[in-house]
Amino acid sequence: MSDKKYQITIGIETHVQLKTKTKLFSEVDNDARGKEPNSCVSPVDYALPGMLPRLNEDAVKLAIRAGSAMNAKINSRSRFDRKHYFYPDSPKGYQITQFFSPIIGEGSITLPSGKKIRIEHAHLEGDAGKLSHFDSYSLVDLNRVDTPLLEIVSMPDISSAEEARDYCKELWRNMVYAGVTNGDLYNGNMRFDVNISLKKPEDKALGTRAEIKNLNSFRSVERAVEYEYSRQSKLLDNGEKVIQETRGWSDATGKTTSQRSKENAQDYRYMPEPDLAPLNLSEDFIKTEYEKCPELPEDYRKRFKNSVSSDTIEIILDYPELARRLAEVEENNSNEDTVNYIANLFSSVLLAEENSSLLNDPLPDALKLSELAEMKAKNELSSTSAKEVFLKMFEEKHLGKSARILAKELNLIQENDSSALEKIVETVLLNPSTKKAQEDYRSGQEKVLGFLVGQVMKESKGKANPSAVSEILKKKLK
Amino acid sequence: MKVANKSTSAVSLVKSALEKIEKYKDKNIFTFINQENALKKAEEIDKKIRNGEQVGRLAGVPYALKDNFLSTEGETTASAKILTGLNSPINSTCAEKLEKEGAIMVARTNLDAFAHGSSTENSFFGPTKNAYDDSRVAGGSSGGSAVAVALDCVEFATGTDTGGSIRQPASFNGVFGIKPTYGTISRYGVVAMASSTDVVGFFSKSASDLDLLMSIASGRDSKDQTSLPDFYGTSDFSLEKKKIGLIKEFVESPALNPEIKSAFDEKVSLFKSKGYEIVELSLPALEYALAAYYIIQPAEVASNLSRYDGIRYAYRTKNLKDESSPEKSPLDLLFSNTRSEGFMRENKRRIMIGNFVLSSGFYDAYFLKAAKARTLIIKEFEKAFEKVDAILSPVAPNPAFKLGEKVDDPVSMYLEDVMSVPVNLAGLPAVAFPAGFTSENNKDYKTPVPLGLQLIGPRRSDKNLIALAGEIV
Amino acid sequence: MNISEKEIDHLAELSNLSLEKDEKKALEKDLQNIFKYISKLNELDTENVEPTYQVFEMENVWRKDEILPQDADREALLALSKEQEDNQIKVPKVL
Repeated sequence: MSDKKYQITIGIETHVQLKTKTKLFSEVDNDARGKEPNSCVSPVDYALPGMLPRLNEDAVKLAIRAGSAMNAKINSRSRFDRKHYFYPDSPKGYQITQFFSPIIGEGSITLPSGKKIRIEHAHLEGDAGKLSHFDSYSLVDLNRVDTPLLEIVSMPDISSAEEARDYCKELWRNMVYAGVTNGDLYNGNMRFDVNISLKKPEDKALGTRAEIKNLNSFRSVERAVEYEYSRQSKLLDNGEKVIQETRGWSDATGKTTSQRSKENAQDYRYMPEPDLAPLNLSEDFIKTEYEKCPELPEDYRKRFKNSVSSDTIEIILDYPELARRLAEVEENNSNEDTVNYIANLFSSVLLAEENSSLLNDPLPDALKLSELAEMKAKNELSSTSAKEVFLKMFEEKHLGKSARILAKELNLIQENDSSALEKIVETVLLNPSTKKAQEDYRSGQEKVLGFLVGQVMKESKGKANPSAVSEILKKKLK
Repeated sequence: MKVANKSTSAVSLVKSALEKIEKYKDKNIFTFINQENALKKAEEIDKKIRNGEQVGRLAGVPYALKDNFLSTEGETTASAKILTGLNSPINSTCAEKLEKEGAIMVARTNLDAFAHGSSTENSFFGPTKNAYDDSRVAGGSSGGSAVAVALDCVEFATGTDTGGSIRQPASFNGVFGIKPTYGTISRYGVVAMASSTDVVGFFSKSASDLDLLMSIASGRDSKDQTSLPDFYGTSDFSLEKKKIGLIKEFVESPALNPEIKSAFDEKVSLFKSKGYEIVELSLPALEYALAAYYIIQPAEVASNLSRYDGIRYAYRTKNLKDESSPEKSPLDLLFSNTRSEGFMRENKRRIMIGNFVLSSGFYDAYFLKAAKARTLIIKEFEKAFEKVDAILSPVAPNPAFKLGEKVDDPVSMYLEDVMSVPVNLAGLPAVAFPAGFTSENNKDYKTPVPLGLQLIGPRRSDKNLIALAGEIV
Repeated sequence: MNISEKEIDHLAELSNLSLEKDEKKALEKDLQNIFKYISKLNELDTENVEPTYQVFEMENVWRKDEILPQDADREALLALSKEQEDNQIKVPKVL
């Protein structure tokens, strides 16, 4: 979206479902995937009279770890507040959130491009229930009520659709690497609300913004921003006003549409939550959780800077387990070629369409992978054979086997021992069927060497190293 | 109190309670009578006693449960139409603790709907009458509980005190009532009114009964993260200063009824005669306590009543059409009609005030301002308790007023709370105790009605206050 | 301060109450008086005073992240609602 008449300003609010065992305010299962409606609901979630919220310590800890993944300041003092609205998916008639004093302060996310997007703050809150609609009625499922959410609010530092997509993706990567969420976008583990406004480059003030709610894929974020740019710029071109409102996105139509203006006019009547104690976290408590944050994408980029091409790194970074395994390979064999070779096996073989199913199986351990890379480097395996061995490593029946044992079993190890090769070459040269070719070569027709090499390979049942064979032939036919 | 033993059976205790309950039907004290279950439980306890098994400290003691405590025995309505039909699958922590000691709930008591009121006139089931004069109010919101104890229907009753709802009806009916330190007794399973001042407490006929009940019901509850680790059981009676304070602004208030004033002076001299020094205190910020309370409390009320929408339990409107406002969907009407039909007028007043003081543009001027006033009130009490062990004060400016006298004039009703709400804003403990009756020749009270006073103490001084009250009654 | 009928309507909407004409009139008068009374607070100087929202003097009250049996299960809870279908609560269509 370059050479644009209007500058686009984008801020994004991201809802991250935290992967605690239990809900934010009750001791029921927080993972309702594949469970029956309302089977993960406590009397607290159901909002019976006289029920009080019971704060989950691990939600606080995961929030701190998420903060660490955004290099954010953790506020030692924070508290909960009530945000009021009537809706069938909100049993209490209010959402418990952190409006006045959130747990996480300013931080930032660095995009692969190197650009920093500032985080304004992030706060803990409870998710809402789910409604399903039928022609004459709707049904209420409260399983998702008060699943812990971390709402991460960016500064309006994002200035294009691609950047919006990259920010969401990089934030997703950081949250997944930090281990605070399952990051399953399809199941709504992360949802994005995108605020978009346009202004003329010369204008100081930002334009009126529209908020596109509940986007759940990087692609739809990018498309929604592109659509909004054209929608708002058309309005501005015709001298019309952009209305500040909430809009919904449809992947099917590729359009955003205005949602009930009633919602926009809402007054949430925020109030401090009297049923929960305020948080006053000690430095030690914060430090302990902060340091539990494992290596993040940015760390892996640094780690592999010299060994792996940045394109390959970015591909691999979408798969935390691949990045971690590659790091292990590096740790027990610092040889950069090995790391690079395995990185390429991952990106070009494992991530190839036809092998996608393998991603669900356990990855071969770092030892096997390093050994495989060495055998390839020593020409004990041709690159085709190496790929074959790598793919076989995923098969149930080969799981226990080292790369070498497996390669032997598959009969793929190349013969490099020259004395052994010479014997084979001699038998081939003594074979009358090669007489003519030998004469032709001596008389200067070098291309027949290929035929002779072929004969030797056949004799060696493909195990000979072709380049070594042709060297020997050349010597013998002088 | 009478506890079942070899000579007195639990069944006989429960039966006589049920007889009294029947006898005073016309006072409209109760919302539900637990006849069958109560007798069954009594028989089980008697069996235990016969077999020489261990029984609890309240074995066979009949008690009444304010109807804003969740109970699996009978509907839990909080005397509000919008909760009618709610058969709770859960019991309150407080009731569980009492029953564990053998206490038997024989009836549920009437209250102002959702405890919104000072007279029990705001009940969906109609007003409860004063124990001594049918033309006068029981006080409120725990009017039913106070009258039930005053008329000896039960040995004790539970109550809740958000702005005086235990102490004021206790004083209107001549019984003891404790409003514990905030957080002393779990609020789990108690229909919330204003969460930051709600406390669970008791009505009884003696200070020693209060002491026993407090030692049973107090303590931390994992289901109420605002509940305090038990301090009551571990604290004992100790007054360092032997000084009792009185609040100038209350005692000299022109609004204070002379009968209460003289009852107050009597107790002052009694304290003196017992060797206590009386210290006059000035707490000027208390003048603003009522205004602050009627901002903070409605705000929390509006919030806590948001969950009553007719969707998940209890009352749901049948009226899902409205020709006058076609823009409203059936769902909109399910919400608004359920709430309009289900709440009492006073509930609606408080919900609307609460939503006003929280709404954007008014929050700072009202809710935040009140929260700051609250800080000043707390500080003044803290200073006061550097000088004295406890404060002696009226509970309300007047004895029980006439039914209908104030019910249509909310502000005059609220003014009855002026001497009780400061305690709630500060989370302090207070014990209301009987202090005689209006005099025979007082023409305003042809039938003499009880007078009550309260002792207020620093946080966690509940045991001291109960003992002090016992000393001077 | 004075509150107009319009403001009463707005408060009624925030409160999700549908009020009859006469009830609205009565409430208008009541709220008028109540606001008059609580506005007394403006006299009080609260310069540099921190607000108080709670009075139980505890911080960091939380529980372990462990699944525990609850006081009422799905069947007991859903049974409290007027209409159910497929283990869900049935409500008029949400538009």
